[in-house]
Amino acid sequence: MNYSLVDFFTDPVLRAPTLGSIFMCLSSSLAGVIVVIRKRSLLGESLSHASYPGIALGVTLLASFFSPSSDGFAIAVLFCAFISSLVGMLLIDLLQKRFSVKDDAALCFVLSSFFGLGVLIASRIQTTHALWYKQVQGFLYGQTATMQDIHIVIYAVLLLVTGSLIVLLYRDIQMLIFDKAFGQSIGINFRLVEIVILFLTVLAIVIGIRSVGIVMMAGMLIAPALAARQLTQSLKFTFLISGIIGALSGFLGNYFSVMIPYYLHAEKLSLPTGPMILLVASFICLLALLFAPQKGLITRMMRVVKFRRNCQLENILKALWKDLGRGVTLKEVSSMQNLSLSIALLRIRKLSSKGWLDCTNKRYCLSSSGEVKAREIVRLHRLWELYLVHLGAAKDKVHASAEEMEHVLTPDLEKQLTDLLNDPLKDPHDQPIPHKGGK
Amino acid sequence: MGIMSSEPALSVKQLTVNYDKVPVLWDINFSIPAGNIVGVIGPNGAGKSTLLKAILQMIDPLSGKVEFFGLPFKKARKKIAYVPQRSSIDWDFPITAIEVVMMGLYGRLGLFSWISAKEKNQALEALELVGMTSFANRQISQLSGGQQQRIFIARALLQDADIYFMDEPFAGVDISTEQSIMQLLRDLKAKGKTLFIVHHDLNTVKSYFDWVIMLNTSLVACGPVGEVCTDKALNEAYGKGSFVLDEAARLSLRRSSGLK
Amino acid sequence: MILAANPYRDSDIFQFFGVMLNRLWQLVQGNLSLTDLASDEIQMLVLVGLCFSSALIGAFLVLKKMTMMANALCHTILLGIVIAFILLKPFSLEGGLVSSFLSLKVLIIASLLSGLLTTVLTQILVQVAKVQEDASIGLVFTSLFALGVVLVTLYTKNLHIGTEAIMGNIDALDIDDLSLVGSVALLNLVVFFFFFRGFTTATFDPLFASSIGLPVSWLNYFIMVLTAGTCIAAFRAVGVLLVLTFFVGPPLMARVLTDKLKPLLLLSFVLPAICSIFSVALSRHILVVYQTPISTSGLVVCVFAVMYFLLLLFAPKKGVVNQFFQRKFQKVLPKVG
Repeated sequence: MNYSLVDFFTDPVLRAPTLGSIFMCLSSSLAGVIVVIRKRSLLGESLSHASYPGIALGVTLLASFFSPSSDGFAIAVLFCAFISSLVGMLLIDLLQKRFSVKDDAALCFVLSSFFGLGVLIASRIQTTHALWYKQVQGFLYGQTATMQDIHIVIYAVLLLVTGSLIVLLYRDIQMLIFDKAFGQSIGINFRLVEIVILFLTVLAIVIGIRSVGIVMMAGMLIAPALAARQLTQSLKFTFLISGIIGALSGFLGNYFSVMIPYYLHAEKLSLPTGPMILLVASFICLLALLFAPQKGLITRMMRVVKFRRNCQLENILKALWKDLGRGVTLKEVSSMQNLSLSIALLRIRKLSSKGWLDCTNKRYCLSSSGEVKAREIVRLHRLWELYLVHLGAAKDKVHASAEEMEHVLTPDLEKQLTDLLNDPLKDPHDQPIPHKGGK
Repeated sequence: MGIMSSEPALSVKQLTVNYDKVPVLWDINFSIPAGNIVGVIGPNGAGKSTLLKAILQMIDPLSGKVEFFGLPFKKARKKIAYVPQRSSIDWDFPITAIEVVMMGLYGRLGLFSWISAKEKNQALEALELVGMTSFANRQISQLSGGQQQRIFIARALLQDADIYFMDEPFAGVDISTEQSIMQLLRDLKAKGKTLFIVHHDLNTVKSYFDWVIMLNTSLVACGPVGEVCTDKALNEAYGKGSFVLDEAARLSLRRSSGLK
Repeated sequence: MILAANPYRDSDIFQFFGVMLNRLWQLVQGNLSLTDLASDEIQMLVLVGLCFSSALIGAFLVLKKMTMMANALCHTILLGIVIAFILLKPFSLEGGLVSSFLSLKVLIIASLLSGLLTTVLTQILVQVAKVQEDASIGLVFTSLFALGVVLVTLYTKNLHIGTEAIMGNIDALDIDDLSLVGSVALLNLVVFFFFFRGFTTATFDPLFASSIGLPVSWLNYFIMVLTAGTCIAAFRAVGVLLVLTFFVGPPLMARVLTDKLKPLLLLSFVLPAICSIFSVALSRHILVVYQTPISTSGLVVCVFAVMYFLLLLFAPKKGVVNQFFQRKFQKVLPKVG
């Protein structure tokens, strides 16, 4: 059936999965921020697999007493998953601390053993209660299609619990992450905070596995938080952005898992929601990694290009200064600086637009403001050469380094050099160092 | 067989190493004549371990040329022995002392040839030289810090190299072990070997080393211990003169990797 | 090969071993040929073969602290298999979805692909994008796995393959699976025979290893490829997630009993092999006596876990119980003056 976007929120069959997914992914992306900042992402992987036997056991035992579609049932199964995951956590701790098992081995051992236990328990009902078995399997990759309205309420409440815990403990969490020593000195009991954070992590995982699935849960803890970290340094905004990305992934993932079979004319096919949600979240994360304003890879590449171009501009100014009076043609600039004619032209134009070049008869020379600028660069170059010699380098080896550093030194560093070298007048090659301000 | 070459044991030219976008070594140049015990000193984070690793090609330098007795690393490999920092090892590894020492043979014999009884005896001799014969079959986590270091030295001895590189061999080691290792090193020197040691303790520099390299991201000084260990040089190595260098180099790297 | 009747069909656990030993005797005498293997026996042999490969690889994965990378690899295998399958489909001769999956070409391409993808993408994230290592690993493998699941489901219009991928289908094993597991075991044996020194040195002291000229990073990639190959061999029997227990559990078990490397490798094979044989027998027993079919692969994993905890408690030197009594003993003994 062709659904419109609004249908997803109103249609009685679709709205529970949609809203449910959004709430579930929202909680995991919020908890994920803490997990990622503390570098415990792989713990999330272990804990989500550790919840599987709880689910299998819960369904097997409880389905005898409750009807699988009742509300109590859903809550009870979640409770079993929660306990199971906690037991996994305790076991990991035990193995690491009491039995000196290395961290990664303990995580992987608990991960796979618990999962195996879950497989064993689930196999018990595989042939006898096929419908229950399907319920259990649904938790592997996430399956929201069978959600009812009541689940919206359940997950909304759980989301509220998660959110409230984070809000209540916000300052403590902040201190735990960034300045534990200070926090301890003012008397904060970090043991309690750690326990609550653990509780929160397990809760978020257990909440999320219905839509994201056990296998992909770790990724859902990571992707929104990682993307958020690329975009902001503030903890508050990290939570906010992560939550938005999580909710968006929850919605879109669900949307795609319904619509793609439709577009492929294979309505009978049920695409699990977990993989779709994760793929959306990972895609957003990839975009953030590439294009984030400060740290994005593509942004950084563009900045490098700009920097290199700036270096070329400054080199031209320097060369013109040394060549005072004569003026140079475009061709000379191009060959001196090893640039193609077209690029040399672009650079000359840029310099002119900044008012640093005068042009007479197709020959370029420095304007007065251009001279000031050129002197500054030469000053930095010669100061640096002197500094390196001061540190013990040989005179003939300092030029290359200075060629690089003249474009990098800040006014602050320049001042430090001037002070350190006692406002020098001559560089190691006996050439005069231009005064500050370009005289 | 003594060392015939009149080439310096180690010659380093214009070595610059950036490690994880932070400059650690900047334009290092020095040359060490054979048959000396050389100490590399400098404050923490000055790049001493990095220097060792860059020389031995474990880290890719940005630029620079290193030669051992006039040969590049790959050709000189058999003349070189390396003792890493003790902290770089997982001491829970299920391996015994003698098995560690026998690793010293793999460089010479390669990975696939049979180890004969003669070679096994050589390993036992090396163990005896360091006084660890009774610990041969002990698992390494049962050994003390000093004992572990001795095992490492025994392994290096077995390599029968001409130049030995050691990274802080005396860190966390008891006095008697330190002194017996030092005696071993002096015996090696008497045989004409060269020893290149990253050292952490300023107090023992003058008594242990013939030649000193003072490092603080850039080379502060290099030469015989009497000439180099002056107050001026020490001040420069451990003082703040190179602060600008660090800051500037850091900035340069940030600009060229596109960070603001 | 479908037998007329499975000789283990009505055996409880004791009868199981009786039948097994009897048939073993028949085999030795020449009355039975290898083509007459019962499904239970194939299961046991496949599991034992797996134990062999995983003992060698798993020991080094644990020692190198690379088990999480192995976990990541096990997940991306699914994508590798799907891609290899799609690439080779034009060339494969007959239909039969699942058997084509397992053809050797698919296996080789899939393991190389998965190994490459996992390590390369993770390294790019860590070194170029400067993302923390744990998040890189977690993000890469879950995303690739998600992609694999989506592709499998869309391509085969069937989710079954997806769930079978992570749990295996041990009851459907046949002689081809056995030969696959056998070949991988043989390959691992040969590789480790030749590269034992290399792996040991590179794992224990990578800096020293590179100083004597060992190509440490190539050796690491090599282990990853072997891991991927073993994972794929395990694909049908226990599925990609449970194979992780085969890698991680046995070395942990063995480490409780020994401090030396060669005994560790041996025990890493023997202990899980015993568990596997016992599990197949137990699974048959439960089926016969309680009329309940259960997942043998799940059972194997649980038996591993039980054995590990028993060892932790009762092992000769390091077991909890033993250490408890040692301490008590020391307190009771009068001090020697």
